[in-house]
Amino acid sequence: MKVDIAKGSSFKLPTHCLSLARGEDNQFYAACFDGGIYALPQIRWGKPNKLAEHRNYASGVNWSRANRELISSGYDGHLLWINPDKKQTTREIKAHEFWSWQSTISPNGKFIASSTGQYLCGGYKYEPAQEKEPSIRVYEVLTGREAHHFPHIPPVESVAFSNDGKFLAAGNLMGEVRIWNLETEKEVARIQTGNFTGWGIIKGHYFTGGIFSLAFSPDDSEILLAGMGSTRDPAAGNGKQLWERWQWRDGAVERTGSANDSEIGQGLMETLAIHPGGKIFAMAGRLFKGQWNTAIFDLATGSLLAATDTKMRVSKAVWNEDGTRLYLGGSSGQPKGMKDIEKTDWGKVKVLKVSVS
Amino acid sequence: MNGAQQNCGNPEHGLHRRRFLEGMTAGAISSLSWAGLFSNPAFAEAAKKTQKRCILLWLCGGPSQFETWDPKPGTTTSGPFGSIPTSIPGIHFSELMPKCASIAHKTAVIRSMKTSASEHTQAINLLQRGHKPRPPFTRPTIGSVLSQQLGQLDSAIPNFILLDPCPEGNEFKGFKAGNWAGWLGAEYSPVRTGGDFGIPHVDKLDSITTNDHEAREDLRSFFSKKFENDTRSKAASSHNAVYGRVKGLMSCAHLFDLERLPQQDRERYGPGTFGQHALLARNLVEEGAPFVMVANGMPWDCHVFNHEIYQMVVPDLDNIIYQLHQDLEERGMLDDTLVIAMGEFGRTPWLNAARGRDHYPNAWSLTMFGSGIAEGAVVGATDKLGFDVTGQAFDEQNLFATIFAALGINPHGEFQIPSLPNFHYVEDKSEPIREVLA
Repeated sequence: MKVDIAKGSSFKLPTHCLSLARGEDNQFYAACFDGGIYALPQIRWGKPNKLAEHRNYASGVNWSRANRELISSGYDGHLLWINPDKKQTTREIKAHEFWSWQSTISPNGKFIASSTGQYLCGGYKYEPAQEKEPSIRVYEVLTGREAHHFPHIPPVESVAFSNDGKFLAAGNLMGEVRIWNLETEKEVARIQTGNFTGWGIIKGHYFTGGIFSLAFSPDDSEILLAGMGSTRDPAAGNGKQLWERWQWRDGAVERTGSANDSEIGQGLMETLAIHPGGKIFAMAGRLFKGQWNTAIFDLATGSLLAATDTKMRVSKAVWNEDGTRLYLGGSSGQPKGMKDIEKTDWGKVKVLKVSVS
Repeated sequence: MNGAQQNCGNPEHGLHRRRFLEGMTAGAISSLSWAGLFSNPAFAEAAKKTQKRCILLWLCGGPSQFETWDPKPGTTTSGPFGSIPTSIPGIHFSELMPKCASIAHKTAVIRSMKTSASEHTQAINLLQRGHKPRPPFTRPTIGSVLSQQLGQLDSAIPNFILLDPCPEGNEFKGFKAGNWAGWLGAEYSPVRTGGDFGIPHVDKLDSITTNDHEAREDLRSFFSKKFENDTRSKAASSHNAVYGRVKGLMSCAHLFDLERLPQQDRERYGPGTFGQHALLARNLVEEGAPFVMVANGMPWDCHVFNHEIYQMVVPDLDNIIYQLHQDLEERGMLDDTLVIAMGEFGRTPWLNAARGRDHYPNAWSLTMFGSGIAEGAVVGATDKLGFDVTGQAFDEQNLFATIFAALGINPHGEFQIPSLPNFHYVEDKSEPIREVLA
């Protein structure tokens, strides 16, 4: 398999983009630090269209085919149902006391899930304290009714539905992924990998990192995890650009693959996106040291097929419908000077043209 | 319990060196022998009453002013945490500090610190020593100076205690023992313990009786003191000082044992090392230690994951400050105990690409309360985005002058060290921050 990457267009957003969603007709939506939920312009020089606003960072945006609405989440702990045509918030739910770290909609369009949890000191070595509220809440998309909630150890930074819509997975700071059967609400698998979590030997004695992104394989037999490898210095952000693949079915939890050391550099990886064709996946984040911050891997072998440095921190990667474009949301950081810091154009979406042969 | 243990916390140990020297100068007590001095109950009691102490919560790495004492809600520099009103009308702290907010009227905050060093080693030196380097002389750290000034004569409890569990956790790794104390000499360097660092070799061997142990120590002391005198050796002097310290430590090692502290207290201070060590510090000053510095590695240096870490470390600090204040107030120790929580600089108004804040010495905050400090003082301000100090800015010399003044020490007094130029506790006649002083 051969994959080529070329630079495509890019769009400016007011602030850092934490999440992206693809709607109908390849219309993309973004969730940003300023709390805004934006529709990306169809033309490169167009301006993003603000649709709604959270009272804190907007951390997630999802397209619901069922009711042709967006469902967003934010660090205000709320979920918003947004009619993009009318720029109207049709429903608001307070899902959590603390941030919604991530939200995701089930592939069948029935449920929206959101994860939360504040990292608070729970032990002598700063192990996270137990949750004070359910770490994951699942709502019905059409009614907004809470359908399920699940326990975890906070903070729970990532959440994903299986492709068949029957299972939900959530990953936390400590590298623990729990998978539940949505029908029975029973936990069916628990993955524990310490490889994404650093405990500061240098600098501070506390934990950093965790699982920042999760994605089920197309047949749901495996789950991909992304984040940053362990680091002794939590202030450096210099752990490996890491993904791992785990088999989880029938309680037979086993690691079946991971990023090849010779193909990766250092930096936090925040997002995974499996290609619509199901043969490759993208991982992106921040480059600390190395060659790339966005890479395409072979799903079967785990080999790196193509990579590029987009010169920004990527928080979310989303494919377009036919898999020829990879949309990357993020920024290069806030402007530094007093003169520039109030500018509201430092968020970015960069588009990569991807050809697979 | 041996004899030395019985002395721990004895009123005799309340007599601190500075007051003794002042007394000697005044001549009022110059004719008294040590024994005579301590047999004067009025003097011992007065000395005990005026014993000042200091706890420094050293927030190594540089805490963000935005997520603590100087939030900028609703601005582009605020980050994701909001602000909450405090017990002082019109003053807000970060929402991560509800407990400190509730006692704001009993503490003081300085929001207008402006210093020059933006890298850790230089900034730590600056904020630990209170002055820029002047080679070849090494100015002692605040702990060493206060241990000399407030330290108790012949105390079993070390005069300068550093509690820090993190071996490579801060730039102190680069401080050699003598560097802490600079020109004051190694006897004013800290005894360091905490976390997995117990104080080693302080248990008397079971195979030796107490009498034998003391006889051996007397003999060692006699010969080494003779050697020190005969050769005028500084090394021998330091060696003897260390031996003296070990002897003291053997008698008060139990004061460093967390397990002996009440479980209820341990729960109140939180399970993390910083909280546990802050409790230990409270206990140590209660037992007579004049200066205890509590550090916890360098957890405030969040170039990466700033908000992800601050959501944990700030509530931890909030609780620790609150518990310390409550305990010292309850015990009637606030008048004599100064508590400072500070780092070596603040953090940038902007977020870098790694979702972190970088070093920022231009405008930062700290808090202090207790001995000599005005309750409810909120001194200085920064502009609406927190880029710069508006009005008068204060530097490390102003801060050190404030600390000395709050503890009843003349900031402009001279170090009495033969063969040194005339160094002062604070140079350039720098003024204390008057609004912070009671």
